[in-house]
Amino acid sequence: MSMVNVDIEASMLVRVQRENFSVDAEIDRVRAQSKRIGGIATFLGTARDRSKGRDVSGISFEHYEGMAQKTLREIRERALKDFDIIEVLILHRYGEIDIGENIVLIVVGAEHRADAFQACRWCIDELKQITPIWKREQTPQGEEWVEEHP
Amino acid sequence: MTLHVKLFGMLKSLVGDQTDVTVALTDGNQVRDLIVLFQAQYPKIGELLLNKKVIVSINHEIAHPETTISSTDEIAFLPPFAGGSGQLRST
Repeated sequence: MSMVNVDIEASMLVRVQRENFSVDAEIDRVRAQSKRIGGIATFLGTARDRSKGRDVSGISFEHYEGMAQKTLREIRERALKDFDIIEVLILHRYGEIDIGENIVLIVVGAEHRADAFQACRWCIDELKQITPIWKREQTPQGEEWVEEHP
Repeated sequence: MTLHVKLFGMLKSLVGDQTDVTVALTDGNQVRDLIVLFQAQYPKIGELLLNKKVIVSINHEIAHPETTISSTDEIAFLPPFAGGSGQLRST
């Protein structure tokens, strides 16, 4: 594989995009990275219709273009370095998202399940802590930026 | 020097839904000077900066009060992230 192809493939493994995604296609993208993968753990975050005791009719995400991608690349690189895993994919959507739709996906491929689960959990927790992405919820009381999420 | 500070999330609503504000700084100014300037011109944002509810990034990196600002820097104010605990990390 040429360097250009490697770069394109790496860029597909960390994305911030408006459009929806196929979980199957993204799992296959990770699966295709290595025949040594024996377990794949995923976390899929979806838009729920209830938040802090209020109905939510829709949500939207704003991100800091450039810094959000950079942060996600750093999370992927740290996960690959700190855990005994083979590949990581991190994907987050922005813009308007309907209730029930996909928001965020983490896919981790490893030789063994324990490492895959552990790294997947770490990636989504880290993403939520340090990635410059902001959520706005539409509720019967109006629209509101969500600042905290326990 | 004139710089545009990018605003995100709820910060935009504090300045009439603008996505950035323009500020005038002098050479050698640090992030702490920028915060003082906002306290004077945009007190609500200044208070959030002072309380570290909002953090400052320069060229996509988290900045510190003593970080020096140059004319080509991309500055942004980042309110608490969507999934954060509200305790933003500064390192």
